[in-house]
Amino acid sequence: MNEPENNLEPENTPWDPVFLDSRREAFIILMLWVAALLWAVPYCYLNGFPDTFDEKEFSTVWGIPSWLFWGIAVPWLLADVFTLWFCFFYMKDGDLGEDAPPEAETVAGEVSP
Amino acid sequence: MSGGPLFSSPIVAAAGGFTPALVTFLLYTMAVFSLAIISNHLRRGGSFLNEYFLGNRGLGVWAFALTFAATSASGGSFTGFPSKIYSHGWILGLWIGSYIIFPICTMGFIGKRLNQVARRSGAITVPDVIRDRFRSASFGLLAVALIVFFMSFNLIAQFKAGSLMLKTLLDGVAVFESATDYLGASLGGLSFFEGVDPAYLLCLLGFGLAVVAYTTYGGFQAVVWTDVMQGIVMVCGVIVMLPLALYLVGQQAPEGVGPLEHATLRMAEMSPPRKGTVTFLSPAPLEEGASLGKGAWVLASGTAEGAEARLFRIIDDSGGVAAGTRWPGVNVLEITTVGDREQVLKNEGDRVRRDLIFSELALEDYAYGAEEGRKGVYVTGPGPSPSSDAGFLPLSLVISFFFMWAISGSGQPASMVRLMAFNNTVTLRRSIFTVAIYYSLIYFPLVIIFCCARVLMPGMDAESDRIMPAMAVFLTENVGAGWLAGLLIAAPFAAVMSTVDSFLLMISSGLVRDIYQRNMNPGASERRLKWLSYLFTLVVGAAALLGAVNPPQFLQDIIVYTGSGLAACFLAPVVYAIYWPRSNVEGCMAGMLGGFAAHLSMYVGGIWANGSFFRPYRLMDFDPIIVGLLVSFVAGYVVTRLGPPPPEDLVRKYFHKRSASSGS
Repeated sequence: MNEPENNLEPENTPWDPVFLDSRREAFIILMLWVAALLWAVPYCYLNGFPDTFDEKEFSTVWGIPSWLFWGIAVPWLLADVFTLWFCFFYMKDGDLGEDAPPEAETVAGEVSP
Repeated sequence: MSGGPLFSSPIVAAAGGFTPALVTFLLYTMAVFSLAIISNHLRRGGSFLNEYFLGNRGLGVWAFALTFAATSASGGSFTGFPSKIYSHGWILGLWIGSYIIFPICTMGFIGKRLNQVARRSGAITVPDVIRDRFRSASFGLLAVALIVFFMSFNLIAQFKAGSLMLKTLLDGVAVFESATDYLGASLGGLSFFEGVDPAYLLCLLGFGLAVVAYTTYGGFQAVVWTDVMQGIVMVCGVIVMLPLALYLVGQQAPEGVGPLEHATLRMAEMSPPRKGTVTFLSPAPLEEGASLGKGAWVLASGTAEGAEARLFRIIDDSGGVAAGTRWPGVNVLEITTVGDREQVLKNEGDRVRRDLIFSELALEDYAYGAEEGRKGVYVTGPGPSPSSDAGFLPLSLVISFFFMWAISGSGQPASMVRLMAFNNTVTLRRSIFTVAIYYSLIYFPLVIIFCCARVLMPGMDAESDRIMPAMAVFLTENVGAGWLAGLLIAAPFAAVMSTVDSFLLMISSGLVRDIYQRNMNPGASERRLKWLSYLFTLVVGAAALLGAVNPPQFLQDIIVYTGSGLAACFLAPVVYAIYWPRSNVEGCMAGMLGGFAAHLSMYVGGIWANGSFFRPYRLMDFDPIIVGLLVSFVAGYVVTRLGPPPPEDLVRKYFHKRSASSGS
């Protein structure tokens, strides 16, 4: 992923590491969502939406229609394994900081810095 | 399997008295109150508002994971969802397809960063974050207005859902019946209550006062800890139901065929029921004005010689009053599958009425799935539909629902508040995985359980909203553990409670913190804020309770409209606010308003296109949420690019590493 727009980086203070890590992790999660969509929807649609139902063609795995087993149940398990990896081996810890006091503000107007 | 229990009514109460199931349920309710009281006593130090509305950002793994999971799983997960599985079959596994990645998307996508930004600004509420991040009071007020608007409607709908569940539970209990009669007599003549079912009103008061009381008294900590218990009850309910359902289906399976395979093969043979009216004829004179009770079964032959007997279920006791030997205009559901017919005759035994003859049939087939000789409709896509000739879940809706759950789930302010409340990143990581396992244990098993329900309890199509409690009673009584039904029925009740209490707190925090403290009286004392918090929570709860006395129809539709509307308004501005240093107030406000307007316009368009606000116009067959999100993200991006860069000090504050002197 590209670095945030450098023209906004004031006076060479480094970007916050929690911000950079979170943004990278968010991007991976977005890609995971896209991958899940690209697997589950076409697979289920191509295998589970027949024009005419043929009993001989219809199959199950452990009692679950096979189009749903391979299209959703197995990816569900894989997604849990991915989540395990992501949460325990990839996602970074960071110092989130302490609560800051709210900025001073006027009653009706905009918040003053 | 011997003759099962009747699953009309009462659901839990035995003839006029308390059953072990009801006692289990009452114990559960008492436990909720005890937790609320303990939470109040354990309240820690720090600012009252921070503690009351956010728990001082101190949530650990179990509290954070379960409050997040329980709040996300509204009553719909245990009422509407089972009802849909029962009505449309295995296709519901694809309908919830994006739940495979729901926890990591909704918690991991914005969680860590939102929590950090909230800490840097000292924010307690979502509007707080927005206001401080952009240093704009008007943007904060816009966010409060949208939250109050959407959540008030949703709160009323959830109150109604909780009251209906309680009514189902108490139906037939002698004390409840007497109280209902007394209330009905007392309210007679008051125009506000005209046409309101006293039983519903009593349940609304019971449910509403209970939730408002423990939420007001205990604040966020009470909500979190009751959520934890409710979350445990939900998963236990599912874990108990799954083996019971498979066990009972397995009893019917031929040797060598697994229980679930048997259920699926039985479902493959099923055809959707027909619905309409029929006239019944009796060989003997009928008592004048007598009515066939709702839920009764009739196996009737036709007038033609040798015609096959057909099985009907009475779905409405308002129509069909006997006159002479005729019972005209009776509203029925006809069971069309041979296997289902045999199952009903086996379940119901002598309770099936067999002395009538049918004539003057006016029955309607499903719009999709009822073609003559068609099989497999309950085990393949798009699933049967009574109203749409494209089926229940055509491809466009499959894609829409992939957005609907995982993406719009990330944009719910009630979830965002929880993301602001965990104590550190270790908690977040562990909680994401905990919720992933938790949802895996709930949602796919629910699909299996209620596919089994289709096989075990045919004929519930007309009242499929009651399938959860009915199935709970059916399963537990058939294995001789009736008391367990109370725990199973507590699961959906827990889901509604945990959603209602969170929404209630969201609205009152918006009023106290975002409007009163930050706009009217920044110097308000702790004591004043404390009493105002109690007061507003109480007032908002009471207002929602009054709104639910005459609630709008379309319960599930309101929940869908408000949930998707909130996502269309909040997701893009929050994502830009925390991940894009260049984002500015103009762009994010445009994103919020653009999402709101685009989403609303689809619903308003539904009035012209489909004759109802709650049947929205679907642009290219996609759900309004997709249009709303797309417009919100595009408007936010374009307007930001056209607008000025944000103030440098704001970028530094929220996006740059803090120096030692500026804290943390």
